[in-house]
Amino acid sequence: MADSVVMGSGSLNSGSRSGSSKTSTSPTENYQLARRRTLQVVVSSLLTECGFENAEKAAMETLTEMMQSCESFPYLMQVTCFNVDTLPVYAKRSQRMVITAPPITNAPLVPKALIAGQKRTHPTYIPSHFPEFPDPHTYIKTPTFREPVSDYQVVREKAASQRRDVERALTRFMAKTGETQSLFKDDISAFPLIAAKPSAIPYLSALLPSELELQTLEETDSSEQDDQTDTENNSSNVSQDDQSADKENVVLPPGGVVPTGKANEENMIDNPYLRPVKKPKVRRKK
Amino acid sequence: MNRKKDKGFESPRPYKLTHQVVCINNINFQRKSVIGYVELTIFPTVMNLNRIKLNSKQCRIYRVRVNDLEAPFIYNDPTLEVCHHESKQRNLNYFSSAYTAAVSAVDPDAGNGELSIKVPSELWKQGDEMKVMKVYIEFSLDQPKGGLHFVVPDVEGSMAERAAHVFSFGNQNSTRFWFPCVDSYSELCTWKLEFTVDASMVAVSCGDLVETVYTHDMRKKTFHYMLPIPTAAPNISLAVGPFEILVDPYMHEVTHFCLPQLLPLLKHTMSYLHEIFEFYEEILTCRYPYSCFKTVFVDEAYVQVSSYASMSIFSTNLLHSGMIIDQTPVTRHCLAQALAQQFFGCFISRMSWSDEWVLKGISGYIYGLYLKKTFGVNEYRHWIKEELDKIVEYELKIGGVLLHPTFSGGKEKDNPTPHLHFSIRHPHTLSWEYYKMFQCKAHLVMRLIENRISMEFMLQVFNKLLSLASTASSQKYQSHMWSQMLVSTSGFLKSISNVSGKDIGPLIKQWVDQSGVVKFFGSFAFNRKRNVLELEIRQDYTSSGTQKYVGPIKVTVQELDGSFNHTLQIEENSLKHDIPCHSKSRRNKKKKIPLMNGEEVDMDLSAMDADSPLLWIRIDPDMSILRKVEFEQADFMWQYQLRFERDVVAQEEAISALEIFPTPASRLALTDILEQDQCFYKVRMQACFCLAKIANSMMSTWTGPPAMKSLFTRMFCCKSCPNIVKTNNFINFQSYFLQKTMPVAMALLRDVQNLCPKEVLNFILDLIKYNDNRKNKFSDNYYRAELIDALTNSLTPAISINNEVRTVDNLNTDVRLILEEITRFLNMEKLLPSYRNTITVSCLRAIRMLQKNGHIPSDPSLFKSYAQYGHFVDVRIAALEAVIDYTRVDRSSSELQWLLDLVHNDPVHYIRHEILSMLAKNPPFTKAADSLLCNEALVDQLWKLMNSGTCHDWRLRCDAVNLYYTLFGLTRPSCLPLPELGLVLNLKEKKAVLNPTIKSEQGPGGPEVTTTMTFTSTLEEEHVVMEPALIGVAMAPLGLKRKAETPLSSSPEPGQVMQEEPSAKASVKSKFPTQEEEDIDMDTVHDSQAFIYHQLNMLERPSTPGKEPSSVEQAMLSMPGTPMPTLSKESTSSKHGDHHHHHHHHEHKKKKKKHKHKHKHKHKHESKDKDKDRDSHAFSNSPASGRSIRSPSLSD
Repeated sequence: MADSVVMGSGSLNSGSRSGSSKTSTSPTENYQLARRRTLQVVVSSLLTECGFENAEKAAMETLTEMMQSCESFPYLMQVTCFNVDTLPVYAKRSQRMVITAPPITNAPLVPKALIAGQKRTHPTYIPSHFPEFPDPHTYIKTPTFREPVSDYQVVREKAASQRRDVERALTRFMAKTGETQSLFKDDISAFPLIAAKPSAIPYLSALLPSELELQTLEETDSSEQDDQTDTENNSSNVSQDDQSADKENVVLPPGGVVPTGKANEENMIDNPYLRPVKKPKVRRKK
Repeated sequence: MNRKKDKGFESPRPYKLTHQVVCINNINFQRKSVIGYVELTIFPTVMNLNRIKLNSKQCRIYRVRVNDLEAPFIYNDPTLEVCHHESKQRNLNYFSSAYTAAVSAVDPDAGNGELSIKVPSELWKQGDEMKVMKVYIEFSLDQPKGGLHFVVPDVEGSMAERAAHVFSFGNQNSTRFWFPCVDSYSELCTWKLEFTVDASMVAVSCGDLVETVYTHDMRKKTFHYMLPIPTAAPNISLAVGPFEILVDPYMHEVTHFCLPQLLPLLKHTMSYLHEIFEFYEEILTCRYPYSCFKTVFVDEAYVQVSSYASMSIFSTNLLHSGMIIDQTPVTRHCLAQALAQQFFGCFISRMSWSDEWVLKGISGYIYGLYLKKTFGVNEYRHWIKEELDKIVEYELKIGGVLLHPTFSGGKEKDNPTPHLHFSIRHPHTLSWEYYKMFQCKAHLVMRLIENRISMEFMLQVFNKLLSLASTASSQKYQSHMWSQMLVSTSGFLKSISNVSGKDIGPLIKQWVDQSGVVKFFGSFAFNRKRNVLELEIRQDYTSSGTQKYVGPIKVTVQELDGSFNHTLQIEENSLKHDIPCHSKSRRNKKKKIPLMNGEEVDMDLSAMDADSPLLWIRIDPDMSILRKVEFEQADFMWQYQLRFERDVVAQEEAISALEIFPTPASRLALTDILEQDQCFYKVRMQACFCLAKIANSMMSTWTGPPAMKSLFTRMFCCKSCPNIVKTNNFINFQSYFLQKTMPVAMALLRDVQNLCPKEVLNFILDLIKYNDNRKNKFSDNYYRAELIDALTNSLTPAISINNEVRTVDNLNTDVRLILEEITRFLNMEKLLPSYRNTITVSCLRAIRMLQKNGHIPSDPSLFKSYAQYGHFVDVRIAALEAVIDYTRVDRSSSELQWLLDLVHNDPVHYIRHEILSMLAKNPPFTKAADSLLCNEALVDQLWKLMNSGTCHDWRLRCDAVNLYYTLFGLTRPSCLPLPELGLVLNLKEKKAVLNPTIKSEQGPGGPEVTTTMTFTSTLEEEHVVMEPALIGVAMAPLGLKRKAETPLSSSPEPGQVMQEEPSAKASVKSKFPTQEEEDIDMDTVHDSQAFIYHQLNMLERPSTPGKEPSSVEQAMLSMPGTPMPTLSKESTSSKHGDHHHHHHHHEHKKKKKKHKHKHKHKHKHESKDKDKDRDSHAFSNSPASGRSIRSPSLSD
């Protein structure tokens, strides 16, 4: 979705090298024109991507019209019958064309301010029409305090005792505020244990990784994690479909069973548990 | 069963089942009830089939129809209550035989069943045409205690939201618990299964899901399954719940199901299942036999893995995320086992119980091949050694495990396993432990067969069995091919000899037809003059669980010039074997030593005996005998073996042997192994513990830091600051396992005061303190748990001064530190629970250890709260283990009572089972010692538990028997007061004790009863017990003096026919049909009971003392001068007045049979019987039986 927004609204110029810079008309008209122009650029870039080298004007106009009309989006969907879920993947396709930013018609006058230090240039993945980095002094850290201890041993020592303190404080707090059990009869406050509480579904907390663990995992290995989530997304798409199919079937009257299965024909799996539930046969008698 | 003339399969039933419909149209989670019907399609194989026996337990049966005609039926289950009479004797011998007889009485493999249906007479004449019959049975189940397990979490929401589910379970053939069927592994038929469940639920069952259809109100849906492959009823299962569905990404016909929210775990866990599939299909050169496969993960599972036709049910606790290391191999093992059983166990079934070993053997064997391929040869050999050690230990301790018991004809008296306190005739009478060992031995024996005939042939045999079966499975039932899907011992052996051309008879005789393992003792001397190794191999074949081995044995001798294999022949009387050596002792030459695998290595030979070229010797290195070898060789030889022998089994043997050689050289060898990262990690782990042991033995001479400390520091601590452990990175699993194990072993070190050295304790505390898992992609929960285990291991008994009360103030400082860690860990677990709550488990163990060692007050209340239902099962088990330990140490009867109450009431079957088996492992007292806990009430309670309290779970009943045996032994528990009258006899010790309380009544003669007399009268009396069942049976000469009515005999009803049925059952199978024709009377409510009495007699053990107090009384009040017959008569007439009455009825009955009353009439009679039944029997009072007996039989 994000990408389509970029295509639709964010790109306000581009290959319209015609360079028409008539800016005399009213602002709304101007906007309409700009919008139409941009749409044209989008259409032409899509066509180029699809392999067209040239197109008739009339065809171009029609396609642009289609895009412009406010119902066009759902309409398009109906025509091409595509799955919304595939949109993000489509948006990320490698061969997509990047539409450059429109030229700023009348660049506002920026007062030349004092420049302190060397401005950082944009990294390659940020389009050049994005604002520049601010002056370095605004974000570069200034060592105004004592140098932190970087001695490994001390760091570890600190981390360990800090964690221990936090854990102890936390558990003591929990123990103080809730029910406890004690190992000693004479002094119940010594070594308080948070009382054991049975849960209705004990296996959930015992089997599912805790949030902390998931977080650690994310931090440690982002590349692998990416892989994992990718595959997970892909497969969960499938099963979510199934589930939604299931749920829809449950809710919807049997007549209105939406052919969700058809949507992803390419990875359609014929598994009896994914098939839609049948309507009961109408009995002749009675 | 007779292997010689095995001609296919002979059904014990007068009909053949071809198809069965199971339809469950209502499952109520709220009430935990199920309603449905079954329809069995059967073909009579005899003329005039008039009675159909089926298996059914727990089911309330509403109506039975045969071909649309209402049919009367009788329900009788003698296993509900094994001993019907208030038996004051309480001895296990008696119980075991009665139980075996009860199980036999309903055993489908003998053509028996709990449910007996009378075929309406209108259909009798159809016999000539052998027309098909459809038996339709409507039934319901209400709060089933066995067979089906409902899990209904107590939270808000709909049943689906609550993750409520239900699944079938059971030990062996237990399908009868949830629908009427022929509950035999040898009766195959095709299936149609229908389950109507809530629309939010999924019903997973066997076979192909044909369609799912809504009910008319759209609130439910019906799952229709078809199973066209002939399958035995015990292989049918069901799981219903709001499961999440995962289609296997590699195999679309495989579907996985888990409970809500666990889908991510399911995905990860199942991501390699396809590899297992591929492996089995490849080695068996056979496709997976079913068209689909389903895995279901359920909570509160009965066992971790259970396999059924085309589906397996697993414990949900096998699921894990990618962060978990330790669970991964465990779960893979389970999946591989389940899949192996799909081929052998589900698709191929067994002909009889005595063929079970073939299936378990093959599935275990191919599972082993999978292990070898996936986890490597080291892992495989390690596993084989482990399994071998297990079976050897079990057999030497408990007694032999017999794979293929033969019960020759009616001579049940020669019990093949007299050493056991249970019968091995039925899967349902076996102790669970024994069955586990049975499976272990079965696969080991398969491996022995492979050794003999080569793996290639072995796999060919399996392939042959499978292809025969799959051909048969596609045939119609009329072709009589289905029995090809049943494996028998003889068929299997025939297949082996056909394929391999080898005779494995001796091997089978040794390990399959015979129980026991071989126990070798080996020692040697080197004869320098002759350059000969004189090896002596002795055997112990007299101890229990052993057998004598005669045959070849391989010996491997590593000499300076290389490794040489010798095959020796173990013969009757030759103990000594001369083995010529190849090398002269010439170690001055610096030369590399060639090893077995061709490798050549440098060795420091300075430790060697200068005169001998022998480095080490191994007996039976390939484990091709089921044996234990105790071999004596010098310590330096073990050290060489450990360092240089490449076989992990040899290394492990060397490590165990080095325990008794606490020398610097052993220390060095072990440390070197520990450091070698090419060495198999499990060997290194074992070396840790051995090192700790020898360090303790070398305490006074030990130099340097505590064992393993510097090693650990070098391997796992920071270079710059050696006291701080590196941040965790478990990417290398081998070093992960070593890192986990070393602290645990180190904590076992002791100093001169027998305390854990301060240095070690601080070291472990530092490991805990500096443990940092933030950069690790794996969870450290198991590591942390083992650090707690290390703390536990460091504990030693507190020095107690005058039994002072343990208070916080007088807490030892070290203990205070430990306790603080444990408290923190346990509390943190509440906030951030670890996977499977491993931390809590370890903390509970640590706390129990602190209590046991007297550091903190001994108190079970903490454990009892963690043992409650609603905690994770591992936590509960750990807590229960602590309570059990407390019960033993503190001899607490209230805790024992609490535990037994749990056995009665806990919702989780596995927990009940574990309580009993843990109690048997760590018993509060044993038969050897007196205890205050041992009292009459406890005996009564346990007796009731096994007699009737556990009738819904075969496994639990056997557990109870086991515990009873551990506590009281086979004979009458010693804590029971002597019977009111008479004597207690102990035939084994041949002595009689006269009850002191009645001494005076006995008169002066009483105490002078002679031993001989006691003996004879006991013999008589044993048979007397059985009398009523024995009319006209072969046992007659021994004890039929019609002199005593026994308590047992009062349970048969007046008017009951008792004579034919028992003998029919005992008689040879072929006689069966004719017997059946005679025996058409439907009023024999208690025929199976009668059968039991008969069986009881047959199974009698010579050691059985007086059965019943009253019989003792009759038999034993033979004081000098008192004529015995008189006394017997007296007791008969006074106590059992209805005895003669009974006989009258019996005769009357015979007449009636001649007249062939109409069946309505009979029915009336029958119900009259039932009424009486209810009044007079303890039996009918038991809840399940009462219900069924009272259930209406709609014959009118």
